[in-house]
Amino acid sequence: MIQGAHRAVFRELLRREFTERYQGSVLGVAWHFILPLVQLAVLSWVFGELLKARSSSSDLPYPAFLALGLWTWGLLANAIGRGLGALTENGALIGKVAVPQDIFIDTRIAASAMIDLSAFVLVLMALAVFGYLPQVSGMPAMLAGLLVMGLFGYALARLLAILQVFLRDIGAAIGHLLTLWFFLTPVIYARDQLPDYVGRWLAWNPAAAPVEAVRAGFSGLPVDWAALAISAVTSVILLWASRWLFARARPHLEDFL
Amino acid sequence: MSQPLVEVQGLCKHYPVLGHRGDHLRALLDVLRGRPLQRQVRVLEDIGFSVLPGQSLAIIGENGAGKSTLLKLVTGVLTPSAGTVRTHGSIGALLELGAGFHPEFSGRDNVRMAAALHGLDARALAEKLPEIEAFADIGDYMDEPVKHYSTGMVVRLGFAVIAAIRPALLITDEVLAVGDESFQKKCIRWIDDYLAGGGTLLLVSHSMYHVQKLCRQAIWLQHGRIAAQGDVFDVSQRYLAWHETRQRTTEGSPVQSSPYSDYAIDSVDSNGVEPGQSLQLDMGQTLVHDVVLRAPADATPVLMCGWVRADGTAVYGTSSEIEGVRGQAMGEGRYRYRLCFEDLPLLPGAYQLRTHLLDGEGLRMFDTRVTSVLVRGASRELGVTRLPHRWIGPSEA
Repeated sequence: MIQGAHRAVFRELLRREFTERYQGSVLGVAWHFILPLVQLAVLSWVFGELLKARSSSSDLPYPAFLALGLWTWGLLANAIGRGLGALTENGALIGKVAVPQDIFIDTRIAASAMIDLSAFVLVLMALAVFGYLPQVSGMPAMLAGLLVMGLFGYALARLLAILQVFLRDIGAAIGHLLTLWFFLTPVIYARDQLPDYVGRWLAWNPAAAPVEAVRAGFSGLPVDWAALAISAVTSVILLWASRWLFARARPHLEDFL
Repeated sequence: MSQPLVEVQGLCKHYPVLGHRGDHLRALLDVLRGRPLQRQVRVLEDIGFSVLPGQSLAIIGENGAGKSTLLKLVTGVLTPSAGTVRTHGSIGALLELGAGFHPEFSGRDNVRMAAALHGLDARALAEKLPEIEAFADIGDYMDEPVKHYSTGMVVRLGFAVIAAIRPALLITDEVLAVGDESFQKKCIRWIDDYLAGGGTLLLVSHSMYHVQKLCRQAIWLQHGRIAAQGDVFDVSQRYLAWHETRQRTTEGSPVQSSPYSDYAIDSVDSNGVEPGQSLQLDMGQTLVHDVVLRAPADATPVLMCGWVRADGTAVYGTSSEIEGVRGQAMGEGRYRYRLCFEDLPLLPGAYQLRTHLLDGEGLRMFDTRVTSVLVRGASRELGVTRLPHRWIGPSEA
């Protein structure tokens, strides 16, 4: 996707992506770890203590169960959150230099995935400190789950970033939609705790299978590979769609920025 | 070396019209279906030209004529709606000031990005960095965010990067207009040197001085079409002439009526051209103005001739009464005056030669005729006319 001549640009944009987001902030990248931790604490307290949610079918304590789901979900949510404005917010630069515009989307998603994955490693280390080690047999499932979630987020973010150029409504709506989507994804609960007819409907959510695969893999429980495969195929179709859309929209992007 | 660096053929650019709420959605649907947008304005129509290596081409025209759009199309930032742009070799572009600097980042960061965009790797940049800093000459501002820069400093830095990269084709859009006097001079010196070294230039400027100084060819864009194309002096003079005429017509043109039928201008002939038509002359050519006036039986009419620039600035005027000249009587109250302007010293540009008829006392004006005169030439001297002068050599006292 990125030719040799543009590798330097990609690297430079990536570097920018890290510095730009935290320029002038005292805590810098740490924000990316602190905010989800606060979120984790609040959600653990509300759902674990007040509402007595449990991580059924495994012996994981609820905060650990939540953490694994939360950081897997973050891969999708942050890719969309960052990628969405990649074209519209870089309009000034895009209007002055001739590089394939999707390089701006790609760098943003790459940066956000790098932060999320390193945060995920930190979560695993924290869990290990408390004596919860991932099952070696489940490693492939965890990796596959993260990979599919990353791909899904990448494809969706690219699609939305291009559409956003033409329809700024997307940016206005996406925050709320992501919140709704978060609750429709088994992050704070397990799907088997729900009534059967609801659980079955939630299986249509492509974000559900990766979250479940990561959690099942961690505990060494059986993984629903078929569901994960469907999510993977969905992601590939979306990725293809985003490329098709980019090819169609490319001659017009600059006119709308 | 005969292969053009830039080859533009049948180039059109249409921009979407997005005034109404539904326009964005309609445009998106058009894009998805892969068909041309329905609501659009035509910014450029059927542009064709080529730039050979070593050439220097200026693009001139009013605001909104499509100059910047054309440069963006050549640079590859915009995609043509129709037609083709083919470029060979490296392009360095300074479009609309600043070369796409990010306001939050320091000058140094932005230089690094610009270098990456021009395909310079880290080592090559490290070599060039001192040169860039020296050229930009903005001192410690190099490490300040670009948002704290003045417009001039942004341009300095942008130009410094381009100067260090030395692209095969340099595209600049009104860059020189922003820098201060000394930086302008530095830029012009650099471009001169760059052109002498075989560089190729595509320049947009409203300063005809810069255009004529730096470019040999020019294109005049008007409402998105090429109004004139060719030698820089030819094109820029026609452009200026058009400007001056337009300015004058908006300010109101002089009255040309002759209320008194006794007095009238019978005929005016300037080198074979009648009033209302346009006479083209080369600078230094001779102009013979042949006028026949009519007056009542007992009066001798006075001829007054005046040169004005096309914008109305007076250049020179004289009359038969001032110089004590009497017309050649032709009978029936008709008088012929022949006035010869030898080696006309007017500088290239658009002028009007006004012919006025006054009564015998030179007090009342009865009739006026206007002949447009376009003086051609390749002079870069400034002003209206060439004053007699000579350069004093070192051997003279």
